[in-house]
Amino acid sequence: MPRSRLREPAHQVSPRARLMWALSGAAESLVLLVVQVLWWFIDEDGSRTPHLVVGVIWLLLTAVYLVVMPQWRYRVHRWEATPSAVYTQTGWIAQERRIAPISRIQTVDLARGPVSQLFRLATVTVTTASAAGPLKIHGLDVEDARRLIDELTAATVAEPGDAT
Amino acid sequence: MTEPWLGDRPPAVPPLLPLPPPGHATPPELRDVETDWRRLNPRMLLIHPVQEAIRFLPALAGVFILGRTSDSGGYWEYAALLAVIGLGLLRYFTTRFRIENGQIELRKGLVNKRVIATPADRVRTVDLTSPIFHRILGLAKVEIGTAGTGKDRLVLDALALPEARHLRDELIHRRNVVLATHDTDMPAPQGDPVDGLAPPPAGPTDADGRSTTVWSGPDTPGTETVLLTFDPRWVRFAPLTLTGVFSALAILGFGNQFLQRYLQQADLGSTVSSLTRHPIWIDVLVGLVGAAVLVSLLAIIGYVLQFWAFRLTRHSGGTLHVTRGLTTTRETSIEEKRLRGLEVGQPFGLRLARGGRLHAITTGLTKKEQERGSAWLVPSAPRTVVDRVAAAVLDDDEALHADLTPHGPAARRRRFTRAVVPALVLAAAAWVLIRTVDLPAWVGVVCLVPLVVSPFLAADRYAGLGHHLTARHLVVRQGTFVRRRDVLQRDGIIGWKIEQSFFQRRAGLAHVVATTAAGKQSYVAYDVPLDAGLALVREIDPGLFGQFAAR
Repeated sequence: MPRSRLREPAHQVSPRARLMWALSGAAESLVLLVVQVLWWFIDEDGSRTPHLVVGVIWLLLTAVYLVVMPQWRYRVHRWEATPSAVYTQTGWIAQERRIAPISRIQTVDLARGPVSQLFRLATVTVTTASAAGPLKIHGLDVEDARRLIDELTAATVAEPGDAT
Repeated sequence: MTEPWLGDRPPAVPPLLPLPPPGHATPPELRDVETDWRRLNPRMLLIHPVQEAIRFLPALAGVFILGRTSDSGGYWEYAALLAVIGLGLLRYFTTRFRIENGQIELRKGLVNKRVIATPADRVRTVDLTSPIFHRILGLAKVEIGTAGTGKDRLVLDALALPEARHLRDELIHRRNVVLATHDTDMPAPQGDPVDGLAPPPAGPTDADGRSTTVWSGPDTPGTETVLLTFDPRWVRFAPLTLTGVFSALAILGFGNQFLQRYLQQADLGSTVSSLTRHPIWIDVLVGLVGAAVLVSLLAIIGYVLQFWAFRLTRHSGGTLHVTRGLTTTRETSIEEKRLRGLEVGQPFGLRLARGGRLHAITTGLTKKEQERGSAWLVPSAPRTVVDRVAAAVLDDDEALHADLTPHGPAARRRRFTRAVVPALVLAAAAWVLIRTVDLPAWVGVVCLVPLVVSPFLAADRYAGLGHHLTARHLVVRQGTFVRRRDVLQRDGIIGWKIEQSFFQRRAGLAHVVATTAAGKQSYVAYDVPLDAGLALVREIDPGLFGQFAAR
């Protein structure tokens, strides 16, 4: 049997996505810091050593997380749209590739959260008739996202039927 | 549109469409049909108030208790009861439906008026449900499922059973809805003639039920072939499935409230003290056996309630009909055109007892309906029965019985690490705790059980993994506690996912997920070698795969 491999999708997302991921990652680890601060005030015992140990571990992990995660995500996150299909690759530690034929697309949707607005980014979501497989492209430049949506919408209208 | 009628008897509405003259072959299309606004069956006047009363039972009870305790001596409680009954009557008088220009329209509500319309050609499923009161009165609730996600469904609660069946046949088979009110030229119909629709099904009914002619439209008789009839001996499979046990627990939970009341009243103190004279393991044993017997009994009761008189038939118009239920009867119709495949399920207990069950993979059923069991084609039954029905429904013997391609040594290793490593960690943790903090030794023994079981579990899980591709179907199989062989139409696949965790990438494995609009929405080849998984995608969707293939 010939080896069949998929190549990566053609386009990377916007480089600013790294900043966005770093910022949301920082927000996540801040939640952990809040828990620690609470622990600091609730704990009545004299010894502060456990707090300091946990604090140092937090600092190290956060630093590694904020440096590694956005870079890794940026290298993984890719997308491609051809006249007949959409192809995405997402994740970092766990990765996922999704393919959907244009003919099976039901909705195309652009979303901008507060953080992505800050970096002029957008998330494009492509849904099919299956509840299992919406394709999401995070961290697209807003202009690129708009163009992609227009192209996909035009292509979808041209195709009849959605296999329900 | 004029108001049709408000009394209890309809005036004889003349047919809006000229009936086809006898012998004329072309019936009017559904979209040309127009009916007057019609009400639900007047017998619902008996049911709606009861339903409303049950809905407002807590409030009513409150009012009545208040009425008893306060000495105002008023008739408030009766006024409240009347209001509730009135509300029920209003529901009847404010609900109307009609079929017009190929649309089914439902109008309801007094204050919040709502009109729900659905194009008849988007109807995917029509379910008839008759809870016990409906059954006594010969009524059925009609639930019309459309191509959407299930929110925009139409519920007609309720019509007379023959009328409901007839409406279903017309909608599902896209036959003509003929507006015959009382036409004597029709082939003699049995049962009540139905206003606004053609007469109910009639015709030669075979006593054995092997093949029955169903009257559907004046010129298109359909035949119904029986694929499966219920065998009471199947109830022995009921306690062997989690579904059975869960339904037992549901009944138990329901009964628990009553039980507790009696337990509190009965003086159990003496019985309990007499029990404690035996060694504890006897009590444990008796308790376990008692629980097993109780759960088995309840599982059987649940099975009987749900599947009694289960009957699967195929209509020549291209639908599968499922009828089932002891007190509440349900009739589900699945268009074979919408059938995307089958799931042959074997929960662990059924596998040991050589049993199985069969589900349809189909579009148009909501998640709730699937959980409620509308996609069942065979309830828990002997495997031979499951195989026979599967072969009758799906004309692809290879997909149902061919040996599957195993997922190879890497998948086997992954199954073993994933089963054994957590068990090892647990055992090690227990050992450390016994050494350090005097954990009782029997806890350690209990913690060893997963370690002993895990290799067998891993081996069985690996044995379950497999995939196969036939000319028309993708077959995947997995699972230990519920082993499932999913047979999915290649045409029904509408997208792909290739999922890889960090360890899967190192092992060269992937979960290859075929997404579909039907059934569970996605069917997965778990831990398939990446090359083999991608080969599946390439075989099924060469055009799609080719665009993104590495050169």
